[in-house]
Amino acid sequence: MDMLRITNLQKRFGDKAVLRGLNLSVPEGCIFGFIGKNGSGKTTTMKTVLGLLKADGGEITVNGEQVVYGQTATNRHIGYLPDVPEFYSFMTAEEYLAFCGEITGLTAAENRQRRTELLELVGLKDEKHRIGGFSRGMKQRLGIAQALLNSPKLLICDEPTSALDPVGRKEILDILLSVREQTTVLFSTHVLSDVERICTDVAFLNNGVVETQGKLSEIKTRFRREEYLLETASDDHLAAIIRAFPSMEKADDNQLVFCEGDASVSDVMRFMANEGISPLRLDRMEPTLESLFMEVTKK
Amino acid sequence: MRSLIAFTKKEFTDQVRSGKVLFLGILFSLFGIMNPAIAKLTPWLMEQMADSLAESGMIVTSVTITALDSWMQFFKNVPMALIAFVLLESSIFTKEFRSGTLILSLTKGLNRYKAVLSKTFTLMMMWTASYWLYFGITYAYTVYYWDNSVVRHLMPSVVFWWVFGLWVISLVVWFSTLRSTNTGVLVGTGGIVLASYLCSMIPKAAKYLPTFLTDGNSLIYGLKEPDEYIAALIVTAAMTLVLLAVSFTIFNKKQL
Ligand SMILES: Nc1ncnc2c1ncn2[C@@H]1O[C@H](COP(=O)(O)OP(=O)(O)O)[C@@H](O)[C@H]1O
Ligand SMILES: [Mg+2]
Repeated sequence: MDMLRITNLQKRFGDKAVLRGLNLSVPEGCIFGFIGKNGSGKTTTMKTVLGLLKADGGEITVNGEQVVYGQTATNRHIGYLPDVPEFYSFMTAEEYLAFCGEITGLTAAENRQRRTELLELVGLKDEKHRIGGFSRGMKQRLGIAQALLNSPKLLICDEPTSALDPVGRKEILDILLSVREQTTVLFSTHVLSDVERICTDVAFLNNGVVETQGKLSEIKTRFRREEYLLETASDDHLAAIIRAFPSMEKADDNQLVFCEGDASVSDVMRFMANEGISPLRLDRMEPTLESLFMEVTKK
Repeated sequence: MRSLIAFTKKEFTDQVRSGKVLFLGILFSLFGIMNPAIAKLTPWLMEQMADSLAESGMIVTSVTITALDSWMQFFKNVPMALIAFVLLESSIFTKEFRSGTLILSLTKGLNRYKAVLSKTFTLMMMWTASYWLYFGITYAYTVYYWDNSVVRHLMPSVVFWWVFGLWVISLVVWFSTLRSTNTGVLVGTGGIVLASYLCSMIPKAAKYLPTFLTDGNSLIYGLKEPDEYIAALIVTAAMTLVLLAVSFTIFNKKQL
């Protein structure tokens, strides 16, 4: 079953259409990377899912229940970490989690147990200072703790790693990986290496619609073009090869890139054997998310 | 109910830890002491100025100070205290809109009306505590120095002013649900109070307006009877309740 399903979502700000019929389905139990450039509408989509923004059209269901703007009952299934999380700066991390637990309606015992577990999980167990003095990374970690407090079925994180240094980023990604057993994770990002590191599923947001979505591995296969990189010892060799196979392109010093469709690998190898050119390297290129993203969004 | 209590507790923790409680406590105490102090010092001040006044042809006869002078100061200074209160507390909603802290509480299942209720309650409690502290201090000094029995209708006059403060708070709450910036709230609230003040220039309208409740001097001097304030009191109380009810509905639909 889909934990989150968005059908034909539309949202405009003034005369600017930000979402133009967005469709998205997030299967249960995955870590879903929601990828899009700055200003593409990731935050808008998430806020609409949380009932914080009113959609102009379309339908959203969370765990099979319809999302209603304003008083949003579906939020009991959701843990949310906003893009720039701010907490009551006059509280300590523990006081804040206790407060959240009371708001959510945990019993006193559950509340104490959950917040101990979570402070441990996000590494703020011994932090006794008030939140006002927290670093960005600490706030993000506290943000994840508060989002997980009521054991949500769906954890929504809005660019949790974007403002962080590599260490802070790794900490967040590790936390997200570790909660995968208990909850479905949807996080937005424009940092593709993060997606590559932890996501099982991805969707590319572009021009207000989801251009492509699915399992990361399937998408990579679907977009895999039989692309090769050939490196030789000298430019003369390359020139000879290009003369024989005019469709090839020079990529770099001593390097060629070509597609199986343009020149078959076996033909190229036979030619090189005849000419006595030995390759330094012949690689089949894996598509990177970067190249996928470029391809998906260039339309 | 538990979430309402938790949120209200959070509001009061904020009031204490941000130093607002201390600040208002000191401010309203100082204002409270000032009223009898100024009254007490008036004869001395007059005496100091008597010579220069005499040179310019004015004769200063000796002035007798009574408790009424202290209470006159009370009503003269309380608007300043209320303005300070509003300036300090008016961002109670907007600072949460700006920082996004409220969004997290709401996405955790806090009903929106509870946020409004908690904050309204907090503001009204803070005003009530500050105002009666101000009153208590003025009262204590006044009965110590003078005979307070010359003062007519003291209790109604101060209660009316307190109600006026509650009405101003309901304006703050209402504008907080309409606007997203602190400036918006202050301009709106100030605008309505000013409008009420200007409208009270129209003799027929005056006694129905909230600003009418601020005329404590007429009561303590016995120039007016408390009965004459009933219309204004009803209008003000009704307006306060309606404004709060409207605030709940607006806030339910507010885009945060
Ligand atoms: N409240 C708003 N009023 C007007 N425009 C907005 C508002 N919120 C977002 N936008 C616009 O909508 C677009 C998408 O914003 P956003 O969802 O924040 O993008 P992302 O999170 O992907 O960076 C942006 O161009 C932004 O300027
Ligand atoms: Mg964003």
